[in-house]
Amino acid sequence: MEQNLQYFLIPFLNWDMMLLIWVGVFAGIWVGAIPGLSVTMAASLLISFTFSWDLNNALALICGVFVGGVYGGSITAILLNIPGAPAAIATGIEGYPLAQLGEAGKAIGLCTTVSVFASFVGILVLAVAAPVVANFSLKFSPRDFFLLAVMGVLLIGSIGGGDPIKGITAGAIGVLLSMVGMDPSTGELRYTFGNIYLMAGISFVTAMIGLFGVSEALTQFRNAGKGSPKQNLDKIIPSWATFIKYLPLSIRSSLLGVFIGALPGTGGDVAALLAYDQAKRSVRHPSRPFGTGAYEGIVAPETANKGAIGGAFIPMLTLGIPGDAVTAIIIGALYIHGLKPGPMLMIETPHLFWMIVSCLSIASIALMVLGLVSVKPFSKIIEIPKSIIMPVVIILSVIGTYAIQNSVVDIFYMIGFGIIGYFMRLYGYATGPMVLGLILGPMLDANYRRAMQGAENQLLPFLEGFFTSPISLVLTLSIVFLLFSQTKTYRRWRGIS
Amino acid sequence: MRKFGIVCLSVVLLLGVACAGFAAYPEKNLQGLIMWGAGGGTDNFARAVTPLVEKHLGQTVILQNRTGASGAVATTLVVNSPADGYTLLYGAENPANYRVLGLSPLSFHDLQPITIAVEGAVVICVNPETPFTTMQELVEGAKAEKKIRMATSGVGGLPYVAGAMMKNIHGTDFNYIQFDGDGPGATAVMGGHADVMPLALSTSVEYIRAGRLRGLAVLTTKRVPQLPDVPAITEIYPEYEQYLPWGPFYGVFVKKGTPADIVASLSDAFVKAMEEPRFEEYVKNSGGFKNGSTGEDAVNFLVKFESTASWLIYNAGGAKHSPAEFGIPEPQK
Repeated sequence: MEQNLQYFLIPFLNWDMMLLIWVGVFAGIWVGAIPGLSVTMAASLLISFTFSWDLNNALALICGVFVGGVYGGSITAILLNIPGAPAAIATGIEGYPLAQLGEAGKAIGLCTTVSVFASFVGILVLAVAAPVVANFSLKFSPRDFFLLAVMGVLLIGSIGGGDPIKGITAGAIGVLLSMVGMDPSTGELRYTFGNIYLMAGISFVTAMIGLFGVSEALTQFRNAGKGSPKQNLDKIIPSWATFIKYLPLSIRSSLLGVFIGALPGTGGDVAALLAYDQAKRSVRHPSRPFGTGAYEGIVAPETANKGAIGGAFIPMLTLGIPGDAVTAIIIGALYIHGLKPGPMLMIETPHLFWMIVSCLSIASIALMVLGLVSVKPFSKIIEIPKSIIMPVVIILSVIGTYAIQNSVVDIFYMIGFGIIGYFMRLYGYATGPMVLGLILGPMLDANYRRAMQGAENQLLPFLEGFFTSPISLVLTLSIVFLLFSQTKTYRRWRGIS
Repeated sequence: MRKFGIVCLSVVLLLGVACAGFAAYPEKNLQGLIMWGAGGGTDNFARAVTPLVEKHLGQTVILQNRTGASGAVATTLVVNSPADGYTLLYGAENPANYRVLGLSPLSFHDLQPITIAVEGAVVICVNPETPFTTMQELVEGAKAEKKIRMATSGVGGLPYVAGAMMKNIHGTDFNYIQFDGDGPGATAVMGGHADVMPLALSTSVEYIRAGRLRGLAVLTTKRVPQLPDVPAITEIYPEYEQYLPWGPFYGVFVKKGTPADIVASLSDAFVKAMEEPRFEEYVKNSGGFKNGSTGEDAVNFLVKFESTASWLIYNAGGAKHSPAEFGIPEPQK
């Protein structure tokens, strides 16, 4: 124990590491905020960049960028309705209306505070219960991932804002587009028309940049001439009472985030979606109706996607299995630096585990400080005339898209999605569900087929699995409840209008 | 005066052209396309070797992951770029199978190997809770019932080809479940969602060491130093020898037709980089073996691999086209 504490204190006593974490968080906030520049991309660039460094320093920088980057994605979602990453889509639904009401400062302040809280929840679970959670996450079968994806698809409608049918339509188109490319199990080509670039599929990041960035800019041009809302920046740090008020929701959502983050292959995006919907269902008296600027609708997804950071490290550090794309890259970094990530990592190099826990903790503290300090300058961004900020958004969208994989074709996709997104907005279709459809589609497709193959393509054993495996049973019942909770009978019983 | 100007200009231009012609390769940054995603085996190899190569080349190699279509996207981009040695492909074994799988008309014949850097071995792994403790038991079990679930990374991938070898030799048939790659497949076997998977040594060695997976045999002719207790397959079934050596590999390629002196200086830089202790350590830790062949050796290696892999896939029923259509010779027994 004493030795673990010693390992934990390494970054605290090492000025290089300390500085690198702070620099990482600061850089991460900007990388995360710019659509198209993702944490994954930054992390993989850093691997080459830090090749000749000491491993500890490299990890410190990457941990900082990870924490800062997930946070940065939410800032632009609130300010400009352009989420920097899919995990911030739900945040934008409530955050952007708040910015329009002049409460951007308050929204970002709350977002920062609960984010730091959730990040610590994730770190705590990582430090205390990592092996238990990791072993449990291994028990999730393809069938359970399929059920999670079904749940996600069912919830897509709820983030549509307004008409659920329109949300589901957009989501269904997203799922359909996700099928373009190579079939995940047979390699058969689907909807590719013999085009090599379509064989690679349509990246959801490309779609997201177009559907949010470019379409927002186009929409703003249509509304040109309207003044920007004046921002009230008096009380940006939420009061203790406010924090306590949202505490139960914060704890629930961050734990959900930790767990979804710990499942290999699911991360902050799915966690934020589930948490947002869960808040929408369970909060009886939101600060404003959901969809028009409910603070609960910021707290839930923000705590979920920050909790998912600690969660993603759980299977990585205990089993050598990446929890998400960023931890997958960190595993690569460990190999390159001469370590052997796997189940023995924690036993043979315990200092690494405690040092990462510690780096993440320092990064969370840095996030608190840097986040709150930058609320005022960030909020000023809204007050910049639209005729200046929107061309900048378009330029960043193009650069960001090209940066994903230096592909010009992606820029065309992105612009296409931007135009589609413009018309969707014009006719009241939310663009978020389409992006989520693109993310959930492959999860749905591949896991359904794995579950079916596991049941030797027999319908009866396949269906039986939903009730015989405890995890599947819980998920199946949750889905049944989700559907039931939409009925009039249930709403009358709970007294929700 | 005017004439003098023209003469001067021509001299300058000529000198410029001459300098460009004589300038030592490489005179500008290189592009390195990695055919698989960040964090994967190919990516790790590329990021481990490139900083060492840059020292010897005296130029930066800008690495990018260009994933998609089992690496066919990156391969196409390299083949479509000029044959000037400024675009490198960091790749794995996949182009050997593009033609039989109908993914792309391209193959290793459109590329010039700079080096076959690292080779890996494949280990047949089972979940330790399954009753199979030896290779024979697995083979007998698979013959008795067809319900043993084998995780693969899709048709044409290494686990699939290893399954095809078993089918050819023992007549065993498994219930195949496709996962997104070696990592997710290994995770599924550890979680009990599949029973067996032929896994790259690099993916499986740590899990075997920790008892999370049980290694039954390595598909090699000699035991590997990383797993001294796991028998080589030929100790149990000598018939496997006809297909061996076979396994994953990572290499660096340029477009075919790149001038020989450029290929030679690239090969030279990679060979020097691979001799550095830092690279040796990476190879050891990643569960691979240094191959390091260049030139004619590397080409022969690719030809043999293509023949083994494509005929196995074809005989197992996974191919769209017969290897014979492309003039790929059947492996000699």
